[in-house]
Amino acid sequence: MTSVDSLYNNTLFIFFTQKSSMERTHLSPYTNHPQTTTKQPISHTYSDPGGGEAGPDNDKWASKLLLECAQSISYKDYGKINHLLWMLNELSSPYGDCDQKLAYYFLQALFCKATESGNRCYKSLISVADKSHCFDSARKLILKFQEVSPWTTFGHVASNGAILEAFDGENKLHIIDISNTLCTQWPTLLEALATRSDDTPSLKLTVVVTSTMARSIMKEITQRMEKFARLMGVPFEFNLINGSNKRLWQLTKEELNVQEGEAIAVNCIGALRRVEVEDRGDVIRLFSSLNPRIVTVVEEEADFTSSRFDFVKCFEECLRYYTLYFEMLEESFTPTSNERLMLERECSRGIVRVLTCDDEQNIDSGDCERREKGNQWCERLKEHFSLVGFSDDVVDDVKALLKRYRTGWSLAHDRTNSNEDSGMMLAWKDEPVVWASAWKP
Amino acid sequence: MAMVFNHLLDLDLSHYSTTTTESTTTGDDDHYCNLGDWSPVVDWDALSVHPQENFNGLLEFEPNEDDNDHHMNLDSPTTLMVEPPVSPFSDDVKGLRLVHLLMAAAEAMATDNKSYDLAAVILVRLKDLVSPNEGTNMERLAAHFTDALLSLLETSARGVVGGLHYKQNHHLHHPTDVLAAFQLLQDMSPYVKFGHFTANQAIIEAVVHERRVHIIDYDIMEGIQWASLMQALISQKDGAPPPYLRITALSRPGSGRKSISTVQETGRLLTSFAASINLPFSFHQCKLDSNETFKPSSVKLVRGEAIIINCMLHLPHFTHRPPTSISSFLAGARALNPKLVTVVEEEEQKVEGGFVGRFMDTLHHYSAVYDSLEAGFPMQGRARTLVERVFMGPRIVGSLARVYREEGEGGSWGAWLTAEPGFQPVNISFANHCQAKLLLGLFNDGYRVEESASNKLVLGWKSRQLLSASIWTCLETN
Repeated sequence: MTSVDSLYNNTLFIFFTQKSSMERTHLSPYTNHPQTTTKQPISHTYSDPGGGEAGPDNDKWASKLLLECAQSISYKDYGKINHLLWMLNELSSPYGDCDQKLAYYFLQALFCKATESGNRCYKSLISVADKSHCFDSARKLILKFQEVSPWTTFGHVASNGAILEAFDGENKLHIIDISNTLCTQWPTLLEALATRSDDTPSLKLTVVVTSTMARSIMKEITQRMEKFARLMGVPFEFNLINGSNKRLWQLTKEELNVQEGEAIAVNCIGALRRVEVEDRGDVIRLFSSLNPRIVTVVEEEADFTSSRFDFVKCFEECLRYYTLYFEMLEESFTPTSNERLMLERECSRGIVRVLTCDDEQNIDSGDCERREKGNQWCERLKEHFSLVGFSDDVVDDVKALLKRYRTGWSLAHDRTNSNEDSGMMLAWKDEPVVWASAWKP
Repeated sequence: MAMVFNHLLDLDLSHYSTTTTESTTTGDDDHYCNLGDWSPVVDWDALSVHPQENFNGLLEFEPNEDDNDHHMNLDSPTTLMVEPPVSPFSDDVKGLRLVHLLMAAAEAMATDNKSYDLAAVILVRLKDLVSPNEGTNMERLAAHFTDALLSLLETSARGVVGGLHYKQNHHLHHPTDVLAAFQLLQDMSPYVKFGHFTANQAIIEAVVHERRVHIIDYDIMEGIQWASLMQALISQKDGAPPPYLRITALSRPGSGRKSISTVQETGRLLTSFAASINLPFSFHQCKLDSNETFKPSSVKLVRGEAIIINCMLHLPHFTHRPPTSISSFLAGARALNPKLVTVVEEEEQKVEGGFVGRFMDTLHHYSAVYDSLEAGFPMQGRARTLVERVFMGPRIVGSLARVYREEGEGGSWGAWLTAEPGFQPVNISFANHCQAKLLLGLFNDGYRVEESASNKLVLGWKSRQLLSASIWTCLETN
């Protein structure tokens, strides 16, 4: 047997240890990782020596290590890269606290970046997700998320409000929905239409499916939506368009089934970011060509686009955004929530895609995921549209919505344009997270 | 950080093929193990039996997923020409991993780079991996070091300042445990006897013509050292009557819990022992205040007695005494004009690298101690574990606390005495040196003793020096 003594007389080297398979089988994803029980108290004790001073010493350890690693990758400091990847691997866990989770998911991206295997990793993540997605789990997930957090419902309420106001007096309505909401937005709208004081208008809903994964799920939704509309007594037509085979901006009026005499609304929630950066202008031009009464745009507030050629900057922004998101998830869900785990896993695709995939290469699967901030989208939309402020009624509806959730949520004033109205911003703990806006030609 | 990565060669991560890199081991202690034969290149394939699975473990976390369809193909065989070591669960690999984690934790706590929450996270992870009662030497050692760092973290993060406020170990071991551990320590290793016998031999040689001997003991504990000295004094060869022996033991307020017996109890034991062998003997206490300032005037002196100053600082003493206390004692002792001053202390290396460097050196030190015990008694795991818990654990905590507060600057008391005016070295006699060798002969042959100076014997395990005994005098003529 080698003596311990000898360990020091030789070169120390780092290797990428994997968590032993023993550890993994002992853990069910749905119980607390043993570390979490001790982790929480310690991090509260030690990161708060005097009581909550801000400063570099009190930054979370995970973001420090992750940023250091990202920087080392950009400097190509291989020794440091190895060491930091090893440390992150040791300390991270998808079942731990926020720090451990962020370390886990971002470690994956760093590893891919260091080994230039991002594209392949992304493709395998997509195919795994494809196989495991099903309507029931997706629906349960979204509904649960909406129950505990206004992250998505904020956009729904704002958009529905704007759309209803724009459709006032019309009776042939056509909504072109390019979103990732799986139609959870529309039941409330249908209800509102049904209870309008004048005659109930007819609604044609054309849903453009861009996300590859949603395709199988959407078929189920068709039936449910039609049934619901019948219940509400709203004359209803539902069309599903597959927009993923071709570029979104290449769709035509005919394909979208746009007809004369219709009042058109384009609803775009979380969809613009999935369009390749170069194509975004064209997509907006398409919207304009449909001559809609209103265009509603809702996007998550983060900028992964302007820094897309600067790895470290992009990494910092990614980390900032997902830290907020994970913390929000942690506070919104119960500690043993399956749904939270699934939502976190969903992030890994986006993180890997944004940070490690080469945009130049043709990645036919999956989505772009490069978010832009509200003011950036404004610049783009201004070329064809002008902003419509949300009416007081809609703002009140949103505020009432926020009251239904735990504290921490608020409406923030858009910081860039304090004079001009530039949409509504949902804030969590005073950080802007989701931006909603309405536009007319 | 630099010291670890000196030997990592550039890894061309942008392509999958890399050239073999030459191993650049520093040590030439080849007879220990062949870790150095491993080329220090990152093995992205992971060192396991199922490389595919392990990578998927990282990239995908669907536990039910059949991994083989869509895994990452990073394992191009041309990647690395490294002979993969044994399975990752072998002791060496785990040991190395623990060392790295410890080092990372130490780094996180190093004074110019404090990241307490990172250190805490690493230590929590370590605690998951190790136990002080089970596993290999490295694992148990890592457990004690982890605990030591955690207690250090606790005091630092709460802003407790150093000085005399050492975090005393309240390891209230059951007295029978302590006794048992002490006995085991003596039986399994020469650490206790080396210090006692070397000091005693020098004392005997120094007092050979003295009628009265007065020993002032800094930390008497159970007085075991004096039992053997008394026996030696009684059985002097030339039939002359033994000298009148007085022992004055320093006692400290509230320290009774640390040792098995109080100073008074020790005194009673020694007195009755002396009576049983017909040695004229009397015992005194010198009470120190809480500052532990030694006042030579408080020692009762008798005309014509030869004064011996005895300062044992190593095992089996549980904790490190504050340096101010020791220096106050030694400096004060000089005023008493002692014929002999015996000092036994842990041998420390001078190490670069700030806290991390000294931390690693401390780790190296104790791992040598653990190895030495294991080499002699490989089957007696539980016994060794007990000794480690009772004695090593608290000393590790104390060592690290000192290192962290940068006290002593790695200097030994021997060096202090050399620099301090009034102390002259006394040669270690040939007989003393032989005795030490004989003692070691009773144990495993990995132990070595050498004269590192004319007045100093150093006990070591293999290449690591662990314990030193040095002899001094304050008399002008000897």
